Parts: sequence; structure tokens; C-alpha cells
Amino acid sequence: MNASRLGGWAVSVVAVVLTAYPANRLCAQHGTVGAHLAFGDYREVSSDLHYRGSGGGVAGSFTFRKLGIEASVAGITYDPVKGSSATVSFKATQLDVRVRYEISGPVSAEVGFVNRKIKPEFEAQSMGAVRAGVRLSYPLGPGVQMGLRGGMLFGSKFSGGGTVSGVGALELGLNMAVDALRGRLRLTGDYDFQRIARTTNGGGGDVAVPIQQALGRLGLAVSF
Amino acid sequence: MRYPALLGSLLLIPAALGAQTIQNATLRRAQAAYDNLDYRQALSLGQAAQRERLNGFDRARAYEVLALTYSAMDSILKAVSAFKEVILLEPERELDPNRTSPKVLSAFAVALTQVLVVRQLRVDSTDFVGGQGEVAIRYTVTQPARVVTRVTGGQAPIKLDSAVANGQVNLRWPARLPSGDPVPPGNYTVVVEATVGQNNFSASQPIRVTHGVVDTLPHLVSLPGYDYLPETEIPPKSWKPMGLALVYSGIAIAGTSALSSGDLGSASFREAGVIGGGLMVAGFVVMLRKPAPQPARGNILYNRLLREQLTRRNAEIAQDNVRRRQQVALRVVPLLRGGGGR
Repeated sequence: MNASRLGGWAVSVVAVVLTAYPANRLCAQHGTVGAHLAFGDYREVSSDLHYRGSGGGVAGSFTFRKLGIEASVAGITYDPVKGSSATVSFKATQLDVRVRYEISGPVSAEVGFVNRKIKPEFEAQSMGAVRAGVRLSYPLGPGVQMGLRGGMLFGSKFSGGGTVSGVGALELGLNMAVDALRGRLRLTGDYDFQRIARTTNGGGGDVAVPIQQALGRLGLAVSF
Repeated sequence: MRYPALLGSLLLIPAALGAQTIQNATLRRAQAAYDNLDYRQALSLGQAAQRERLNGFDRARAYEVLALTYSAMDSILKAVSAFKEVILLEPERELDPNRTSPKVLSAFAVALTQVLVVRQLRVDSTDFVGGQGEVAIRYTVTQPARVVTRVTGGQAPIKLDSAVANGQVNLRWPARLPSGDPVPPGNYTVVVEATVGQNNFSASQPIRVTHGVVDTLPHLVSLPGYDYLPETEIPPKSWKPMGLALVYSGIAIAGTSALSSGDLGSASFREAGVIGGGLMVAGFVVMLRKPAPQPARGNILYNRLLREQLTRRNAEIAQDNVRRRQQVALRVVPLLRGGGGR
């Protein structure tokens, strides 16, 4: 699968970046590792294919000066909502990787990728895409951070085929982090909305088969 | 008696005769006769005493009894002449103006102008750093004369001044050798020589010069009158955290609404609502909490300036202390004189 290959490459790149960096310098950095509860809303093709679900996942982050790396994996079991034409639940496993660099003040540039695998296959669209965007971060107070991000997904690949125009895949996010126990623990909240204007061509012309997912994560992380 | 008793009391011999007493018996009788206002007896006994063998003190007292007696008898010229002898024998002799009649004082003053003496040579006791202070020397010359002031006692006499002077003369001596170095420690003598034609007179004052170490300055830990200011300050409570949380959450919800596809029905705001709600709760809590101290830029700059000033001042002190360690503290003390001038 194309999507799987993309995710594998990205993980490898992140792993190389982390292992190539001197360990003594990594010690001086700030990092978190934690788990989160995830809950989401997934729609595809039309309002009839509407799912809601929840699950869990793990997340980690490293920050070094102006550079920050975040990665999270969430597994969500989506069930058709009442009134939906869908009948089968599915499990989505989503990997998100973001690398950001602080440009000026609260503004950071952000790149990364998203990889979402669906089981059982073809109940929904597995996908992979590279993301690029901007994040605005602001400290609300001592130990409280919030951020707003927006960006686009490029090179989207789907398990069922289809394409997305240049500006057809957008994402929007809101995140917050509250330090507790003198910074040893961190409560996190993350909202991620994706809207992908996917089209397919079944021989009779382009058909719009959009995908939309709203994903919320509430987590607890250990800082080191 | 030609003079009333009151006048006699005004003509009393000044008491400042020192601890010495008159040794010659004739002179003592002359003094007693003068005290009893028996001027003729005082005059004859005084003149008789002068024909006897007298020491220096008695000789001066003999002339003084004669001078006072002549003044009492209105023989001013003779009084002046006797006073001149007194002055030559004891140049430092002074009459107490409160206990001496004006007639006697004026005769004494006239006598002073008719002899060449250097009187009241004084060297002030002083402490100073070599090269940065001076020793005050003053004396009185009774007649216009060429006066040369020297300091002797070192390897070579140091000439301080040479001038025609009359009356009080004030000099300042930096206590330095011609090379500029401070004079070595030891005993010196300030010699003042006055010359008019064939007449000359010299007076001297021994002094002692000692060397000491110049005190160094302590380093400063703070500038007097200037205190460091706190580099952080607690800002007043503000609605900003709550407001920003509202704005960010609003943007996220509005963005979700705007980006959602119409074909997929109305967007779900549950996820955005939960995270946005949590963010607003966090913003509200932050708003109620005591704000974290913020760096006070003005105070930081002020403290930096203060530290720079302190560093600069301590560098100056260190530099000054290096110089001070190479300097010499001079102490000049006048010593007791053995006798008058000549």
C-alpha cells in the first residue's frame, strides 16, 4: 500500500533524526511521553456514511530550542451513528507526525505526515498524506500553552484510489497543554479536523467522494 | 610718684617668662623695685646687674627691666634701645597686650622695626601622600630683607625660597627632592636666613619626617545611594488568557464550520467543543491565578547599568590601589627647638 510505505519512510526519517542527534544534547531537551483518549467523528461520501467512535493512543514529543517533534498514534473504533446508512463498524489507526520550527514569536512552520489505516479494509478509506502548515502558539500563563494550527495535506493516497486537488485537503487544529506537578506531568488536549475533497473517476467522470474527520484527544503525559 | 598706681599696675612685667627664674640677686632686686613702682631704684639696680656676670636669660631680663623702667619714666628712646637688646637676645619675645601698657607695647613695636630678626618660625604638623600635599611654613621678618629658606639635614640642603620679604611670610614645601621623590625619612631643619647689608639673622626649626604606607581603598559591593531593583515584576491580573482562549477556540470552531463539506452534512462540533471548552477552563483558571513574575526590562537595564558602574568603579579603585601601594605617606612633625635664632 502506498499509504503504508509513506508512513514507514516518515517513521524512519524521524528515527534517524532522533538517533543521529548526540545523546548528551538530547538530555538537555524537553520531552514528553504519554497516553490519550481519542474520540472522533468520521464522514465519507455523503452524510449517510457517518461514524462516531472512541479509542486510545500514545503520543510523544521532543523540543529542542526552536525545533519540535510530535508523534501520536491513535486507534479509534468507529461505529455508524443512528440513522446512517452504514452498517459495519471499523477501526481506524492513525499515525500523526509533526515537525515544527519556530519562525518568529508565536509563529512556527510545521511539516509532517498523516497515515490512517482502516480495518476491515475498504469499510472506509485508508490514507496517507504529507502535511505542511503554520502553528500559532501562545502561553496562557505559567505552565499553560495553547496553539492553533492550520495547514494542507499534499500527495494524498487512498486505499480506494481517487485524487485530491492541490488545495482540496485541509486541516485545522487546536491544542492545549497544562503542566502539573511542577512540570512532571502534562495534561494535553488536541483537536484535529481534516476535510479532504477526494474525487474518483469511475469512467463516467469525476465523482466527489469527500472525507471529513474531527478527532479529539485528551491525554496525560510524563515530562522529562 | 609721677604715675598713679593704676598705671603702675598696667606696666606689670608680662607673666610669660617661661619656667626659668632670675638667678642674679641684683636683678631680682631690680625686678622687685620695678614691681614696687620704685623706678629709680629699679633703673640703678638694673644697670648694676648688667655690669655683673649674667646668663642669657638674666641678661634679657635685665634689658627688659630697663626697657620697662625707661618706658615708665617716659624715656622712650632708651626704652626702644633696651627692647632692641631684648629682641636680639630673645627674638621670640612677646608682650601680653592685655597686661602691658600701650606705651610699652609701642616702644616694643618700634624696637622690632629697628632690628633684623626672623621670628615666629612655624612648621605645621601634617600628613599627606608624597606629591599630593605640602608642608606649611611661616615666619615673620621684622625688616625688609633678602630671606632664604632652606631645609637641611638630608644629603644636600633643599632651597625652598629666596625673596625679599617683610612681615609675615607663608611658604609651602612639597617635601620632595629635586628628582621628585619624597624626602627620605629623618630629622631635618628648616633654616630661614635674612640678610640686609651687613646684618643677618637666621632662625631654624627642626622637623622630623617619617614615611608610612598609603591606605588602599576597599572594593565596593554597592554604590552608595543606589540599590538593585527587582528584575521581575508581577503584572496585574488580566482577562487576556480567558480572552485568548475564547478567540482560539472560536477560530477552531468557526474554521471547522467553514471547512466542512456541505455534502457531508453539518459538521460535528463535539470534538472542537470539548477541547475548546477545556482551553477556556484553563484560560479562566489562569486568569484567576496570581500572574507569573515577568521580567522588568527597565529594572534589568538599570541593574545592568549599576553593575557596569560598579565594575568600572572597582576597576578604578584597583588601579588606584596599585598606584597607592607605590606611594609614600609623609608625616612631618616639628620638633622642640633648642634655642632662638642668631
